[in-house]
This record gives sequence, C-alpha cells and structure tokens, in this order.
Amino acid sequence: MADTRLGPLDALHRALGAKMVPFGGWEMPLAYAGGTVAEHLACRRDAVVFDVSHLGTVRVEGPGAKERLQGALTNDLDKIAPGRAQYTHLLDDDGSVLDDIIVWWVADERFDVMPNASNTDNVVAAIGGTDVTATRAVFAVQGPRAKELLTAYSPALAAVGRFRVTEVELDGVTCTAAGTGYTGESGIEVAVPVEHAARVWEAIVAAGITPAGLGARDTLRLEAGLPLHGHELGAGITPLQASLGWVVAWSKPTFRGKDALVAERDSGVQRELRGILCDSRRPPRDGCDVLIDGRRVGTVSSGNFSPILECGIALAFLEPGLEVGSAVSIDVRGTMIDGRVVQPPFVTTSRA
Amino acid sequence: MNIPDSLRYSKDHEWVRVEGGVARIGITDHAQDALGDIVFVDLPKVGAVVSGGQSFGEIESTKSVSEIYAPVAGTVSAVNAALESSPDLLNKDPYGEGWICEVTGFDAAALDVLLDGAGYRALIGG
Repeated sequence: MADTRLGPLDALHRALGAKMVPFGGWEMPLAYAGGTVAEHLACRRDAVVFDVSHLGTVRVEGPGAKERLQGALTNDLDKIAPGRAQYTHLLDDDGSVLDDIIVWWVADERFDVMPNASNTDNVVAAIGGTDVTATRAVFAVQGPRAKELLTAYSPALAAVGRFRVTEVELDGVTCTAAGTGYTGESGIEVAVPVEHAARVWEAIVAAGITPAGLGARDTLRLEAGLPLHGHELGAGITPLQASLGWVVAWSKPTFRGKDALVAERDSGVQRELRGILCDSRRPPRDGCDVLIDGRRVGTVSSGNFSPILECGIALAFLEPGLEVGSAVSIDVRGTMIDGRVVQPPFVTTSRA
Repeated sequence: MNIPDSLRYSKDHEWVRVEGGVARIGITDHAQDALGDIVFVDLPKVGAVVSGGQSFGEIESTKSVSEIYAPVAGTVSAVNAALESSPDLLNKDPYGEGWICEVTGFDAAALDVLLDGAGYRALIGG
C-alpha cells in the first residue's frame, strides 16, 4: 500500500488539537479537542466545517463529456442542467456499486466528478477525465446555521442553493461551491485551489463555524440514513439492495451494469437496507446479526450511538418486506439488544 | 497526560486506588483519550468474582469497543451506576466521577505487580 498522504491542512488541524487517522490513503482529522459527540451536536444545532480534501475530484470536460457520464453512471443528467449537482452510482457489470458519486455540473462541458477517496482510480478508468484531487482542498460547511454564519465571510458562498453548483470568488480566488453535503443538514461544499486552502479554512473557522472530524461525519451520516461505501455499498451490493432505486434512471438506453440490475428488479431483491432504532445506548456494529424470534433476518452494515436520540441506531440489510415497527434483536457479541425497524433518516434535520 | 502518582496502574490502562480494603478501579486518562467519546459502559455485576487480567466489562466509544480487564482478582462490591446514563464521565473525570467499580477480597501482594505512576508513564511513552 502506498504511503499515507498528508492533507494540505495537516499542520492547521494538528494545531487545533485534531487526532489524525489514516482514511482512504490520507491522514485526516478524526476529531478535534472537543470530541466527536460535541462536533455532532454542533452540526445538528449550529454549524461545523469538515476538511474533506480526501474525496476525489475527477474533471471530465470537453465535447462528449456529458455522453461519457451518461453511458457510465446510473442517474440521468437530463434531469438536471449546468449549475446543478447530482448523486449517482458507478456500477460494475454485475450491478454492484463500484462507487457512489456526486457530480458537479460546473459548466456546459465541464463536470467535476467526486468519488470516494480510495475509488478515484476506478472512476478515472471507467469514465476518463483528469484526477485533479491534488490541486484543491474541499471543505464541507454543514448545519442549520451554516449559511447564516458564512454570510459574514462571503455572501456569495452563503447564497448557493441546495444542489446548485457555481463558481464564487473567495479572497479574489475562484473557487467552486455546491449546495451539497453528507450530514442531512443544509450546507455548502467548496473546492478551493490548494495554495489558498489554509486561508479559506481559517476564514470559515473565524466566522464561528466549529471544525469537525471524520468521527462526527460518520455518526451524522448514519443518523441521516446516508450510505457509506464499504458498508452499505460495494462489491455484491446493488443500488436496489441499498434501497437507492431512485438513483437508477431506468429510462436511459444504457449504463454499465444495467442488464444485471434489470434482472434483479424483475426477480425481486433478496435483501434491502433498513433502519433499526434500539432501546439501549449500546452501539450495534457492522456485522452483527439481526434476529426476529431467534431467526436470523439480516446483518448490520453500520451502527453507532445516536447523539441526538441517545440510543443505538443501525443500518442493516434485512429480508425484504418487514413492516416498519417490526420488533428485532441485534446480537452484539452475544448480548441481545432490542430494537425495531424504522424508515431512515433517524432524525429530522434542517434539510429534511 | 494526567497520571496521578497516588494510583497503581495495569498494562491494560486501568488504575487502582486502594482504601480500607477496597480497590476502586477505572481507566486512565490515556485510555479515555485513545478511545474517544465514550457512549456506553457495560458494567460488571456486583458480586461477580473476577480473576486478575480477566475481561469483566466493555467500553464503547463512537469509534470502537474496548474490554475492561480486572487489574486485581477479587469480588465486585460496587459499580458506578452513574455511568449507565452518563458514560461521558469516563472522558471528563477518569480518576474521579468516572470510576468504574470497586473490588474487595483481593490479595494485597497482587498490587505489587502493578505499575506506579512513573512505570505507567514509561509504558505509554509519555
């Protein structure tokens, strides 16, 4: 495995008291001095900023760029237009989700495609384009007060609407911003040329926005019911099993993996992703069995403690058709935790 | 890192404070810092008989689960029930309000194999 890369703001994070951890080939902040739970609550009640420079950016541009994306990805760019963002999947031939991706349609013939950190090479191989990850930092400002607090720094940045994409000038430097995120809250993600990244980060923090790490990013996305590649998506997992059929544009003539997916749709999925709300604080974990009356009905794909609900929550692949409210038990290393099937998201957010 | 010299320490990052035949047990400041935000503690049962080095509880943080090992053999005589609703006491005050349990009936000689503050500081490289 290649050496872990230091992000462009490594020294700044350490100065803020961050614990750094390897993630997707990068050394990134897990949590700052206040800790994961405080950062989580700050995002739900106020505003936080994540350094997500470890995400990939693949620039696909020129004539034919849109057609290449349309032929590779499951969602349909004809549903949106330049200046908009779209969540989409890249499938393998068997219908497995190779990666889940946000596409920023920046200009007519320019797309910034944002894969997960470790999947950037797969995405370049599938759709071409140029890996420009090293040229920029990406910050995600999220929370009910994100836009209000950003206004003091940059009204243009604060004004970017949900799933809109636009170029904004920050301190005289052209950056690309989108109304996207991964917390369930309203907010902005902004890509900044790497040589200006420290200045923009410091300005965002100076606006009263709390730095938050990957620990809170994970508990936030789980509460919001959002999938994480390697847990809810990946080899052997199709978008239909992940309860993300809305990402698939069946009407498109073709996209990679479509035949396998059509076959699964027609025969019916064997499992589907659901939420489980637990009675106990004890966090369920990835791999725990889910049972009904002692019979195994599925497996937890992600689980943790919900700081808002103050109980355990899980995403789990369960046999299809279980009714909301069904009583289940989760086997947490031999201890049975009671819970019930719920429809994610687990919490109401500023974006919901 | 806070390592009070008045306590004894195990290599598994528990501390022990002995007063009047009772050994109060918790985890060290270093341990709570490494675990991150603690959200659940599976406490031992009062009356349980534990042997030294045996796992007798679990600590769950937002990032992982970790076992609690008995630093001395004995009988669990009390547990800190406040941790059931406020497990974050382990983070906030690991040597005080965040104590985990008390053990009686231990062999005083067993304390001698535990580390003193300097020994534990050397163990964690601090």
